[in-house]
Amino acid sequence: MNYDCLIIGGGISGLTCGIKCVSEGLRCGILSSGMSALHFSSGSIDLYGYHTNRKIVYQPLDYIERLIIPEGRHPYSKCGIDMIREGISFFSETLEKEGLVLYHNNDYNHFHVSTMGTVKPTYLSQRSVFNDSIKEGFKKRSKIAILNFSGFRDFYPELAAENLRKNSLFSLFDIITGEIELPLFRRTEKNPHEFRSMDIARIFDSEKYLPGIANQIVNASGGALFVGLPAFIGINNFTRIYQRLSELTGMLIYEIPTLPPSILGMRIDDALKSRFAALGGEFIAGDTVNGGEIVNGVLDHIHTENHGSTRLRSKFFVLSSGSFFSRGLVSEFNMIREPVFNLKVAASEDRREWYSPSFFQKESHPFLEYGVVTNNTLNPEDTQGATVENLFCTGAILPHYNPIREGCGGGVAISTGYFAAKKIIEGCRS
Amino acid sequence: MINLENISFDHCIKCTVCTIYCPVARETHLFPGPKQSGPDTERLRIKDPYLVDDSLKYCSNCKRCEIACPSGVKIADLIQVAKFQHLKKKIRVRDFFMSRTDLVGRLATFMSFLTNFVINLLPVKFFMDVILKIPFGRSFPKYASGTFHGWAKKKMPDQSKFRTKAVYFHGCYVNYNNHQLGKDLVDVLNAMNIGVITENEKCCGVPLIANGYIDKAKKNAAHNIQALSRALGEEGTRIVSTSSSCSYALKYEYANLLELNNATIYDKVDYITKYLYSQFETGNIPPMKPVNLRAAYHSPCHLERMGGVIYTINVLKEIPGLDLVILHSECCGIAGTYGFKKEYYEISQSIGANLFRNIEKADVEVVITDCETCKMQIEMNTPYEVLHPVQVLARAIKNNTR
Repeated sequence: MNYDCLIIGGGISGLTCGIKCVSEGLRCGILSSGMSALHFSSGSIDLYGYHTNRKIVYQPLDYIERLIIPEGRHPYSKCGIDMIREGISFFSETLEKEGLVLYHNNDYNHFHVSTMGTVKPTYLSQRSVFNDSIKEGFKKRSKIAILNFSGFRDFYPELAAENLRKNSLFSLFDIITGEIELPLFRRTEKNPHEFRSMDIARIFDSEKYLPGIANQIVNASGGALFVGLPAFIGINNFTRIYQRLSELTGMLIYEIPTLPPSILGMRIDDALKSRFAALGGEFIAGDTVNGGEIVNGVLDHIHTENHGSTRLRSKFFVLSSGSFFSRGLVSEFNMIREPVFNLKVAASEDRREWYSPSFFQKESHPFLEYGVVTNNTLNPEDTQGATVENLFCTGAILPHYNPIREGCGGGVAISTGYFAAKKIIEGCRS
Repeated sequence: MINLENISFDHCIKCTVCTIYCPVARETHLFPGPKQSGPDTERLRIKDPYLVDDSLKYCSNCKRCEIACPSGVKIADLIQVAKFQHLKKKIRVRDFFMSRTDLVGRLATFMSFLTNFVINLLPVKFFMDVILKIPFGRSFPKYASGTFHGWAKKKMPDQSKFRTKAVYFHGCYVNYNNHQLGKDLVDVLNAMNIGVITENEKCCGVPLIANGYIDKAKKNAAHNIQALSRALGEEGTRIVSTSSSCSYALKYEYANLLELNNATIYDKVDYITKYLYSQFETGNIPPMKPVNLRAAYHSPCHLERMGGVIYTINVLKEIPGLDLVILHSECCGIAGTYGFKKEYYEISQSIGANLFRNIEKADVEVVITDCETCKMQIEMNTPYEVLHPVQVLARAIKNNTR
């Protein structure tokens, strides 16, 4: 197999990179080992959320340009502000072509509500989380109803409501909670413990019960302007179902992410994959890359579990295999390493420095800032210390940023993926 | 003693992504999904078989859970092993005959005309539905007269003139039902200057595994490993198969499920399009003329699991005049003998419904797929003829010589 660009990792970064490459006519493959972290994400794209002192950042692009880029080591510094802007708009346009529109607050951050009822700054959200009517409605400081379907155990309205009431942004709201019945729930009596967000999303997709559900929502909301529902308003037909449900209830419908798997994230995953396939990209799922051969600073080929002794060749490679969760990085007793090529990693050698004393520490954990060391064009170093010219590292595998503390995971994944794609396109043309 | 062969269930983080992508769990809540039937209950069954829940019989072994799993758990393997280790075998006449493809195939091809006639008689279908629990609505593949193996032994054009050779594992479907696919393969490989060797093979074992006849499956597998290793002979010779599930079994299930040593053949077995593509890459592309065909391509689950779909697509792309629509990858529902059983028939049909709709929407003349049972399912549920990629290639080659 001879590719122009072969990407290891089919998450948000790899897919953004791949879609850009195929849209410019390159032959591009993506190797993916299991579903990506999008299945566990909020489905909103964070660009930059918090100052070092935990204060909220309101204008992320401006903040990145003034304070992050000059710092030098952050992945954003390597991309540069123009590439970040371009990457983010390319990402939005890509999803829009698949019918999934993302909204932003005129270059400002907006807030989204987590499953625990905490409020987080973010940059791009789906229509059910942020749009102009939600923004206008919020200013009225009226009543909010947070509802769940009885029997769904991956969301707790009372918990979310209690946390929201503690938040100064919501101090003037009247927040109530309630439960509604889903007509098809009886079908699941045999195995109710497996009744997940996806089961309900599919029931919404079928459109059969929408008027009945809408009626129950209105009855349980006690005249509230907003209704917060766990995120499962359709998966394949989200835009249409959301519109119909809004019309039928006459309320502002707000989706709150549930415990994984996340429907909000899966909508993005679906849209990206179907765009990649439509443009002629080759998505190779369920395979694991075992290694490759680097000769004189050039990655010649890689081999995988399924392809056995067959070598996969490409002019350029991208390593977007994610962080620890996606096995892009692995931790052993006394070291952190990158398992595919054994690339040079920036990490503390003292295990005690890897993590913070408490799990939910505000400063987050140092291990999140570990990753593969690259030069300014995202090329890593092999075991001999030579730069690998045709390999680019993107997304969560990169070091020197903290996606949780800074609130910037999605933005880094997209902009570094896009940046690598631009470099690869340039390289293929010259 | 606790068997520690497959402890990949320990890597499960309970994210439920597998269940989301399980076609069976999507259609019926009788199946709690791969997470629960696989890693969740494995840790219980491993201690006490009393804790086995018979809902795991609903798993069709499509293996889409393993493709989806972010943590590398061999979910479908866990379920298959649990099935045949713990589930009480209801010795049904149906399951016995359905899994004995060689026995039934030999009998049926002996008087194929009669078989094909009788099997479609209404009273017979009614009898099969009520007594044997083979669904009335199910259509059956036609049986050929004689076997492909017999043809290869007596009537196959002389292969000794070719220096490069490939061992062809034709599988039961080519042997008893579709000789033409086998003959097309011989034409295609010969046009590429490659000779074909056939061996005295037995059923690969997939239907035996699915129906819980593990000892018989092991016997067949051991026979095949030996026969194929013997046939390999010269360095560089490969074993090719035109069935995606046969090649998956030879390569993976012999070792993972049947616990046999298949090292002599493991790295030599290719599903046919991978072999063809590697030949194409070296410049060995047969001369072809346009086929002028608009076709939809459906990728079978087991080929997806093997990572073989890209090879098929890239081989098809080499065929001139083939206007290809690549369908969204999803299970057709038949899963081997699963869709031939009354208790799973409705589930099987509803799994495939969306695929059938997408095929109708694609506005094509034929459908192309790599798997024989996918072909049966699609031909039964859509008005289209289903071809194997090798048959389309053979057509393009014949057009050239015409």
